[in-house]
Amino acid sequence: MGSPLALKRSKQGNHYFLWVGVFFFIVITVVLALYFSARQIDYTWRWYRIPKYFAYQEQVEIIAETDGEVVSISKKGKKAVVQVKGLKGTESYTVPDNALEVEEGNTIYYGDVLAAYKKWRVGILLEGLWLTLKVSIIAIFFGILIGLFTGLARISSNPALKWSAITYIEMVRGSPLLVQIFIWYFVLGTLINNILAKQGIGQISALWFGVAALAGFTGAYVAEMVRAGIQSIHRGQTEAARSLGMTYVKSMRHVILPQALRRILPPLAGQFISLIKDSSLLGIIAIRELTKATREVVTTSLQPFELWFVCALLYLVLTFSLSMLLQYLERRQLAV
Amino acid sequence: MIDVKNISKTFISHSTEVKALVNVTARIAPGEVVVVLGPSGSGKSTFIRCLNYLNVADEGSIVIDGIDILDPKTDINKVRAEVGMVFQSFNLFPHKTVLENVTLAPIVVRKKAKDVAKKKGMALLEKVGIQDKANVYPDQLSGGQQQRVAIARALAMEPKIMLFDEPTSALDPEMVGEVLDVMKNLAREGMTMVVVTHEMGFAREVADRVIFMDEGAIVEVGTPEHFFVNPTHERTKLFLSQIL
Repeated sequence: MGSPLALKRSKQGNHYFLWVGVFFFIVITVVLALYFSARQIDYTWRWYRIPKYFAYQEQVEIIAETDGEVVSISKKGKKAVVQVKGLKGTESYTVPDNALEVEEGNTIYYGDVLAAYKKWRVGILLEGLWLTLKVSIIAIFFGILIGLFTGLARISSNPALKWSAITYIEMVRGSPLLVQIFIWYFVLGTLINNILAKQGIGQISALWFGVAALAGFTGAYVAEMVRAGIQSIHRGQTEAARSLGMTYVKSMRHVILPQALRRILPPLAGQFISLIKDSSLLGIIAIRELTKATREVVTTSLQPFELWFVCALLYLVLTFSLSMLLQYLERRQLAV
Repeated sequence: MIDVKNISKTFISHSTEVKALVNVTARIAPGEVVVVLGPSGSGKSTFIRCLNYLNVADEGSIVIDGIDILDPKTDINKVRAEVGMVFQSFNLFPHKTVLENVTLAPIVVRKKAKDVAKKKGMALLEKVGIQDKANVYPDQLSGGQQQRVAIARALAMEPKIMLFDEPTSALDPEMVGEVLDVMKNLAREGMTMVVVTHEMGFAREVADRVIFMDEGAIVEVGTPEHFFVNPTHERTKLFLSQIL
């Protein structure tokens, strides 16, 4: 094993740093080419406009709802209670102490500002990112569950289980995710929500149909991985477990699945990364995840270049973190 | 203890039928050590695997400790818990430590408390001479050590019968002895044992009876003295002349 690697090294040898240089040259060239071609079409880069879509300060004003006089301002820690005595009685407003705009004895008219302060708000991109993360995590969780049971059903000798699993897997893997999302939302969603409405129970939001579509989609792929993982474990393992008196379920749980899951961790990681990216399709059923959020900001801000790069970068942050997490798990499992 | 009557087993592979067992009848008494010999493909492995329902006999009856294991109403897991099995390729659980390998079944099948199972497990590892490796993983052990752990794992269920399916065939020659020693001790303690093996020395020294199989049938049964000194059947003589 050592020698071919060594061979390669010696061939690269003195040219190694040259090719490292070539790599960085390519990267810089692409970035510059992009910049200058944007200049050609008079695109103005306005990166400073981007942060406010992550977080911004909102002006909050507390407004008097009556005419009258400020009769008392009493402090309670960092809050202040303003009592306004009007013709129809006394009203009290609780405001932050340092934001007070009135003093005791002031005459107040309806609509006057009693206190004004700034408050940090989460921007739409961060909201979108959070929703993407949330949808992905829930879909991954259910995807694993569905995949585990379908994978087990797939290798069962019971035709009802086996054929159901095959039908589900083939249907899901054979049709576009976009179409599946439409079916979940516009067909199943309409049916389910209409039935619920007739029963007088609350409605299920688009988010959950989106999650269902993603989980169902991922589950089919996970099922095939689980099947392959289980089948890759030597038959002797099952025989040893069963010969000790373990039931099918116990031998699966304690002997086969722990080994199989360890083996399928790398392809699972790839599948989950795909799922995070596929969640960008959920925008079409009005779930404001990261891509939809970006599209909305682009329409209002007219800064598509910066925003789409930021959007891509945010996905990269999510997928890269997940990839790191799973690599860590893999390494930790291999260590034992 | 084990009462096998007229069992047959046919495997079908690539639409050709292979008769692995033909009308096999055998009886093994409590405390008896029976060694099954025979050329490869003679059905001895299939025979021992049928005793643990890893292969299912097509016909006949197998009664173990009073329970008919071919009866569909029998809970085979209960029978298996009483019958230990040791495999040619060890089949230790690679994701568990040596001690965990030994304690897993007592904990999940026998519902023993963890510390009780651990204590018992350590005692068994000591018995097979491998207590200092309790906390390592199987892939760090030699073949002989792995097989001894496999024996300890089977013994942890406190079985009434131990089945050995060519326990030394996958071992380097210098490790065969350590495994056979453990098996000899076990025989001395009065364990009922069925051993499929090619170790003639073991058969001669330890076996109460030798069963010789060929082409899926039992050809000759007898004490080691009878079997090795003056076998009756031509097939047995041929086999012995080939290997001794």
